[in-house]
Amino acid sequence: MFGKVLIANRGEIAVRVIAACRELGVATVAVHSEADRECLHVKLADQSVCIGPAPSEGSYLNVSSVIAAAQITGAEAIHPGYGFLAENAHFAEVIRESGLAFIGPTPDAIRLMGNKAQARRSVAAAQVPVVPGSERSLGSRDEALDVARVIGYPVILKASAGGGGRGMRLANGDAELKVAFDTARSEAEKAFGDDSVYLEKYLVRPRHIEFQVLADSRGRVIHLGERECSIQRRHQKVIEESPSVALTPELRSEMGHAAVAAARAAKYLNAGTVEFLLAEDGSYYFMEMNTRIQVEHPVTELVTGVDLVKEQLRIAAGEPMSIPKRRQVVATGHAIEFRINAEDPATFAPSPGKITHLSLPGGPGVRVDTHLYSGYTIPSHYDSLMAKLLVWGEDRDEAIVRGRRALEMFRVEGVKTSIPLHLKILDEEDFRAGRLSTHFMDRFMV
Amino acid sequence: MFKFDEICELIRLVASTGVAALEVDHGGSKLRIDGVPPVVVADPSAGGAMVAAAPRPAAEPAAGSLEALAAADEGLHWVTSPIVGTFYRAPNPDAEPYVKVGDIVREGQTLCIVEAMKLMNEIECEVAGTVVKVLPDNAQPVEYGERLFAIRPA
Repeated sequence: MFGKVLIANRGEIAVRVIAACRELGVATVAVHSEADRECLHVKLADQSVCIGPAPSEGSYLNVSSVIAAAQITGAEAIHPGYGFLAENAHFAEVIRESGLAFIGPTPDAIRLMGNKAQARRSVAAAQVPVVPGSERSLGSRDEALDVARVIGYPVILKASAGGGGRGMRLANGDAELKVAFDTARSEAEKAFGDDSVYLEKYLVRPRHIEFQVLADSRGRVIHLGERECSIQRRHQKVIEESPSVALTPELRSEMGHAAVAAARAAKYLNAGTVEFLLAEDGSYYFMEMNTRIQVEHPVTELVTGVDLVKEQLRIAAGEPMSIPKRRQVVATGHAIEFRINAEDPATFAPSPGKITHLSLPGGPGVRVDTHLYSGYTIPSHYDSLMAKLLVWGEDRDEAIVRGRRALEMFRVEGVKTSIPLHLKILDEEDFRAGRLSTHFMDRFMV
Repeated sequence: MFKFDEICELIRLVASTGVAALEVDHGGSKLRIDGVPPVVVADPSAGGAMVAAAPRPAAEPAAGSLEALAAADEGLHWVTSPIVGTFYRAPNPDAEPYVKVGDIVREGQTLCIVEAMKLMNEIECEVAGTVVKVLPDNAQPVEYGERLFAIRPA
């Protein structure tokens, strides 16, 4: 095991990594920007280094500053957390070249999964289903019609150069597609200076189902079950849970095998997540692989009892994962995570400021991962996640009841929080019945 | 170990910012400086106990010398490290330091090197004046924003 690890992150995930290091007897180095001197991870780490100014470009995203901080403190390995440099292949590469260990996958795996088209090709070659589509840019309207007839309507046109919804057009039949093709092209041209578009099957009310995987240097690759993350707003997850009510044991096993196959295709190492879209008819499609620890990883920890961050450290140190061989990871009970953000629960506007009073919920089946403390000022420079409230119950109903009481016992004064929004979601009949899709949050949008 | 200069610097920082207390852990040496206790207004609804820090006389040198020091520091220009790295006073181990206390320096003159990832970054003086203090030891690690030199502008 490493003697000393530097955590190239801030906030709750830095605190989470410090907890894992302490339990393994590993010394920790926190890095921080000038705005984060009072952040909890700085106080809890054995050492800390100020690496730059408040804007993350000069600090948390500054590769050479982070590595220099590891060098001056004698850290042997760097944990990137999530966000910032976590999925930056160049960062992982420079760490290796500097003689340090990167607690994550290889630069090649990060690069492969970071490129959507390449990732799609590589997992498709491993027999993992991908959303049917044209794969390439469409040359003409007739070509679009041919492809659509083969894969079946509805279809969605997307800009090859794009993202963010611009240049996207939905079509339910030939007539609509003819019009949509021209509009999508001109929109793509205007938005990205490139009018090429491609076409995919459109899933009407898909669920976002992701599988946690672990791979060690001994060639072992396992999955630890799924997380249902359909409740999201603008691709930001709001509530995650495990298991998903939509998965039968057979489907879970099939998707789990697909996730392992996708990880193997990338010669994956360490912890990762394979994201799928699950259609109403039970068909599922690979979306992408996240090559890092995820915000919602504790959901899996609660149902499996596996400490994923400690496994990450063991794997990066060249040790085998600690889960006994030939023993399936068994999930017990039901876990739900509520992301508590410093934001207005109605308008979603960020609400940075000073926490004047804080009282966290506890009791049976409750876990809070946070960097908050009374008197702490949430800076405006970074994301608004202030805590993750997790609850575990014997079944989904108990987890929901426990979630409600824990949300009610979660007291924060000084900033607005998304707690009232979570309570509203728990009131929804669709939520209680498990009728979820990625459009669930549309009802709360103004 | 803390140097006398550094302790004075921290005391001035506590006094000027009005913070309740400052704790510093520097290579295993720990130092705590408590400022003037703030007025605590009890809030019965808040519930949590509030404890005002009591001053610790051990870390406070005589007030007279402190004031004198503070006055002497007024108008000084502090050169801070723009990057994380290792501080070197000379271009190589056998060479003379770039500058010593008492040297007259011009704007743009190299004062030291901060090495980060095997790159030698020459740190230049932003003002013309006299070097009053050199804060880090040679080959000592420095943080972003750490004070390196005090210059009395000409």
